[in-house]
Amino acid sequence: MSKNYQFVPEPKLVKGDHSFSSITDMIVKTPLSPAPHLWYLAFGLANLLLITLLGAVGYLIWDGVGIWGLNNPAGWGWAIINFVWWVGIGHAGTLISAILHLFRQGWRTAINRFAEAMTIFAVMCAGLFPAIHVGRIWVIYWVFPVPNSMAIWPNFSSPLLWDVFAVGTYFTVSLLFWYVGLIPDFATLRDRAKTKLSKISYGIASLGWTGSFRNWWNYEKAYMILAGLATPLVLSVHSIVSFDFSVSVIPGWHSTIFPPYFVAGAIYSGFAMVLTLMLIARRIYGLEDIMNIDIMEKMNLVMMVTGNLVAFAYLMEGFVAWYSGYIYEQGIFWLYVVGPYSWGFWILMFCNVVTPQFLWSKYIRRNIALTFIISIIVNIGMWFERFMIAVASLATDFMPSSWDYYSPTFWDIITYVGTFGLFFTFFLLFLRYLPMVAIAEVKGVMPQADPHNYDKDTGEFVPSKAQPAIPEQQTT
Amino acid sequence: MSEEQKNPNYWKSLNELAQNEEYKRYAEREFQENASELNDDVSRRSFLRIMGASIALAGFASCRRPVQKILPYSKQPEDIVHGVPRYYASSQPFQDALTGIVVESREGRPNKIEGNEMHQASRGATSIFGQAELLGLYDPDRSRYPLQNGEQSTYNAFRKFCNDHFSDAGRSIAFISEASSSPTFHRLREQALDRFSDARWVTYEPFGEDNALAGTEIAFGERLRTVNHYGEASVVVALDDDFMNPAANKNSVQNTKDFSAVRRVQSAEDEMIRFYAVESTFTLTGSNADHRLRLKSSEIGPFLYALAARLSGPLEGLASYSGFTGKFTDHEWIEILAEELMNHRGESVLTVGAEHRPELHATVAAINQALGNAGESVTYHRLPYLPEQDNSLSLAALVREMNDGAIDTVVMVGTNPVYTAPADLNFSEAISNVETSIHLSDYVDETSKNATWHVNRAHFLEAWGDGYSFTGTRSVVQPLIRPLFSGVSAIEFLNTVVTGEETGGHDLVRRTWRQYYGTNFQQRWNRVLHDGVDTDGHFPEISTRIDSGFDRAARQFTAEEMDRDGMELVIRPDSTLFDGRYANNGWLQELPDPMTKITWDNVALISKNTADRLSIQQAGLGSVSVDIIRITAGDRQIELPVWIQPGHADDSITITVGYGREGIGRVANGTGVDTYPMRTTDHMLFATGVGVEKTGRHYKIACTQDHHSMEGRSLMRYSTIEAYRQNPDFASYEGSYNAELPGEKYAQEKGQEHPLAMFDPPDYPDHEPQWGMAIDLNACVGCGACTIACQAENNIPVVGKKEVSTGREMHWIRTDRYFEGDVDDPRALHQPVPCMHCELAPCEQVCPVAATTHSDDGMNQMTYNRCIGTRYCLNNCPYKVRRFNFFNYTDEFLTSGSDPEVIQMAMNPDVTVRFRGVMEKCTYCVQRVNRAKINTKVETDGASVRPPDGTVKTACQQVCPAEAITFGDLTDEESTVSKAKRNERNYLLLEELNTRPRTSYLAKLTNPNPKLA
Repeated sequence: MSKNYQFVPEPKLVKGDHSFSSITDMIVKTPLSPAPHLWYLAFGLANLLLITLLGAVGYLIWDGVGIWGLNNPAGWGWAIINFVWWVGIGHAGTLISAILHLFRQGWRTAINRFAEAMTIFAVMCAGLFPAIHVGRIWVIYWVFPVPNSMAIWPNFSSPLLWDVFAVGTYFTVSLLFWYVGLIPDFATLRDRAKTKLSKISYGIASLGWTGSFRNWWNYEKAYMILAGLATPLVLSVHSIVSFDFSVSVIPGWHSTIFPPYFVAGAIYSGFAMVLTLMLIARRIYGLEDIMNIDIMEKMNLVMMVTGNLVAFAYLMEGFVAWYSGYIYEQGIFWLYVVGPYSWGFWILMFCNVVTPQFLWSKYIRRNIALTFIISIIVNIGMWFERFMIAVASLATDFMPSSWDYYSPTFWDIITYVGTFGLFFTFFLLFLRYLPMVAIAEVKGVMPQADPHNYDKDTGEFVPSKAQPAIPEQQTT
Repeated sequence: MSEEQKNPNYWKSLNELAQNEEYKRYAEREFQENASELNDDVSRRSFLRIMGASIALAGFASCRRPVQKILPYSKQPEDIVHGVPRYYASSQPFQDALTGIVVESREGRPNKIEGNEMHQASRGATSIFGQAELLGLYDPDRSRYPLQNGEQSTYNAFRKFCNDHFSDAGRSIAFISEASSSPTFHRLREQALDRFSDARWVTYEPFGEDNALAGTEIAFGERLRTVNHYGEASVVVALDDDFMNPAANKNSVQNTKDFSAVRRVQSAEDEMIRFYAVESTFTLTGSNADHRLRLKSSEIGPFLYALAARLSGPLEGLASYSGFTGKFTDHEWIEILAEELMNHRGESVLTVGAEHRPELHATVAAINQALGNAGESVTYHRLPYLPEQDNSLSLAALVREMNDGAIDTVVMVGTNPVYTAPADLNFSEAISNVETSIHLSDYVDETSKNATWHVNRAHFLEAWGDGYSFTGTRSVVQPLIRPLFSGVSAIEFLNTVVTGEETGGHDLVRRTWRQYYGTNFQQRWNRVLHDGVDTDGHFPEISTRIDSGFDRAARQFTAEEMDRDGMELVIRPDSTLFDGRYANNGWLQELPDPMTKITWDNVALISKNTADRLSIQQAGLGSVSVDIIRITAGDRQIELPVWIQPGHADDSITITVGYGREGIGRVANGTGVDTYPMRTTDHMLFATGVGVEKTGRHYKIACTQDHHSMEGRSLMRYSTIEAYRQNPDFASYEGSYNAELPGEKYAQEKGQEHPLAMFDPPDYPDHEPQWGMAIDLNACVGCGACTIACQAENNIPVVGKKEVSTGREMHWIRTDRYFEGDVDDPRALHQPVPCMHCELAPCEQVCPVAATTHSDDGMNQMTYNRCIGTRYCLNNCPYKVRRFNFFNYTDEFLTSGSDPEVIQMAMNPDVTVRFRGVMEKCTYCVQRVNRAKINTKVETDGASVRPPDGTVKTACQQVCPAEAITFGDLTDEESTVSKAKRNERNYLLLEELNTRPRTSYLAKLTNPNPKLA
């Protein structure tokens, strides 16, 4: 009896000839060995930007939000654009970790730690903006439902309040999720650390991990529960951010398509940002075997799908404007296209509608340089998307008499640039001191992790050894 | 006056309070002691002194806050309750016309100016200038002491100087004064001319009434004041006459009241007057015309003569024009206007702009006479104080004398000829040829700097005075406060010059008024002070006859009329700064021009066609930089930014004066361009054949409205009266969009009043009044008085050009001006927009901290203390009426300078001043509403909090010369606002959003001539 079927062999998720120990070595060598000069250079640069940010924020609080380019119709400008942009970027990490985990996508292990770290730092950058953009930051705690002597609650019908909860919860759960995932790797670092300080630090962080069966049992359960908790948050956080716009009455904002469209856009930009960072990091830290071309292609596919969802949403906006017969919606769409901000619209169209179409080509999906360029274009495009929504809609809304042109000031720009300082300061610290790949999880998707189907000699996963529960088929 | 008014108890420092000698010395110096010495090397002594002083001050400041004691009156004045304002009648002089006002006084300081309902020129309203005078009073940049040759002096020294100098009564003295209608002033003037044998008196106003007076002299043989009664007309034809604009007509409030009264339509049966405007600049008045013809100012003459020629057929008395033929003889408008005027004989008004040549005024007078309008809709009055001859002519003659050295002393009473006199007279040079020059003025202005003596003038709210209204109602100017900077009024100044004595204005005025009230003086005097008006009298009306010499004169000047080709330059007073006298008034600088919506600058206005020819780009959204052009007329040229004004006449440039001043004050300095150098004795209104070229440089303009089309949105609804009669519902949503209001069908099916809403509307308790406002767009002329009244009432800060150009103006009520139709000849529409006080307010739903909420009496309230400044409410306001304190504007506005207490006194203590980072907006003047509610509650022993209709007036409503705004309780079926809202023309702005605004609009109507439509 010969079998007329066979498995299509899955490409190996970790390339190269790696054993468990070589994987561990590859990853822990960065935190445990002295940092390269390049790191110090990058860290210094990031610190400079961070100081710039602190200066800009300090001046903002000292002098008032008038230092930005805001005006009467456009009460929100770069601050809110940047907020939405960073939150969007902060989407990829939890999506990769939680949702892909639930869907048992093994390839996520190559990038999940990396992407989660990016998420946390991106949400930190995002969270900064709603806090500093208010006129009176010294009373911002009024947005929290804290019992107070004024006996007044915040206004629970305000989407901004929902934002506080949504982003706060998202940040908390993402941080927990990230930390729980880090515990076994902290233990690995603790065990290999040479210096006293790092032994103690990693030891404390590893929470007494022994690698026992019970540890692993608890760990897996906790990780699964957190993944389950984080999954709805991935969808909710950007839906709620989109409510800031869609719950209002402003044409160009008041739209039911916003929640799915924002979530798709967030994943789109988040993946682009992960790609940008990953393509640099894999090269510098020699992680090409783990963060390999196959992973990149898969991410490109996600970008292609979400990019096209976003493009579809743009088209739907135009269609709905026409179909609704609502003159203000028609007016704003027309003004997007030919109005004072049409340059922004066409940048957006190129970046977010034309660019993802390149990803239909397998060649481009697997080309590192082109992918890198596309990932950057996508992030520019997604920034402009928020720019068009926030500024162009506000600047030209119902009353033509109040239309005014918004342009950013030096301080708008420097604050935005400064958040990269915040982001990269933390990110570089992460690269320096923490394992940038989830060591334990990567090992779990290697052939070696399955002792029954692993051929020690060839180092390959052997399908024949796995006895599929497929009934014998009658052959004639 | 109360005790505290006499002794103002605000003080700048403890030293001042103690009034010690050191402080007096300090106060009398312009600069702090050592400030001038510091230029030299610092001596050891001065260094120690400064250091010692600053250490002492620093130590003093660090101890604790200065103790300010609030003490009760030791003797309680009658009727004064702290916190309850008192009201005094007074009058606001503007040139030689008084407007009756009622001034609100709080704890001894004037706080708000309102119109006097008993005064004919006001009837409860004021112009923008009337409102802004309050800020003028508290202007810390006003001159604070007399100057002798630029050195600080005292009034006492000045009096001594006068005693000495004028003891020689034979000196050749020239008096130059601004126009005044004050009987006391003219009494003193007679006294001066009697006392000094070689004295001459010139009354000079840069924008006066001379040409009109000269015109009546040509027509009727006597200089008479022309009073147009728009309220008694059926047809009005205005030739380049901006009679609703306070800067162009000193009786604008009354004109607007009269005009809007006969434009008001309550039902389809009502009639409207028809109004034709012919003008070069698109003026405020022209924007209210049913038909507007744009015509160069230089062509108004031929146009008028052609009209006179056409009318000379059917009418008697115009025969001298019959032979005139010109460019406009066959113009369509001539026929139409002639027909209209003929059909409305005795009930039409033909008028021409004040700056036009006397011949045109004469022609207009002759036509009005021939039409039988004279004595009916146009009346002519003899003024008791009329200047004998033309201003600019006599000024020119005087300048010649001055240059010849024939004048020994020039006394200038409140005028600023160095700045405003025709440029060719070169007054600053002339004054240097005079040995002694004395100048009374509010500011150390251009003339003061050239004068031997400058005397600081008291504001009219600080000093006694009197005068006549435009139509001759006599009133007293009653001061509300002692002079803040110890200035003197014009009459006190004149009295010192003439008699060498220092007599108070009170005595001077009473001395004059004793001759009016022979018996019972005190009682009648008190009556005048109380009412603000003497009798409802007017200047004697003259029954006019065409002068015998008129025919010959008319034949001559029509024959001399020539075609003026090429580009013309029209020079007009500025809509907000007038002739420049209000240049240091922040409220007026920041008040958008009613037509261009430009603040803080003057521009050259040109039409689109002219701009195309000069290849000048239109400013607009995203491009606020405009070209700077160079205008050359003869050997004079200026450079200023150019602005395309749709509806402007082609080949014509309008510039306004009043800007470009230096060394006047913090507000005036450096704004705009001085255009007086282009105004010469030959070209008082326009110059022809001017050259224009682009300089290639650009300039940023602060315009509050960057987009001028309604984009097909029915925001401002209007129709013709004919169409209204056929379709009274034209202003409804259905009538405007020809579509059903979204959600209405559903509401009807459910038997609900309103379409479905996501949020529940608030519950309103039954005992509360429900406030609402209706704005009649048919009455509104777009003057902007509401904006400035609101600013005065609600402590709205002035934010400056930079902030306005960023789009951060703070006005709570703005007047939107849209253009409709052809870019060359558009219709302009004015729409005041305050907060709509939506019942389902989008702003309220989105505030995260519930800082904006609804009150039980239906107002959308803003709680400043709760606001954290997310600006979400501003974003979500469809009407964009919310204003944000991006910076600490109030602080900047109220604490600049060395004695910020002065300007702080202008603030309304009932209204919170807002800190940076909070949102603000129209409150429906909640402080007035609540005061009325409290009063009602007290009066009814707690039974009701519903003030009777008419007891609450918002600031915008009260000031409106057109009475366009009604406000009141909507639960009262009989209130004026309820009645207004029942009008078919009532509509809600953006009704389809279901925000259910409490503010509604009554659609505008026009009354076009079917033959021109």
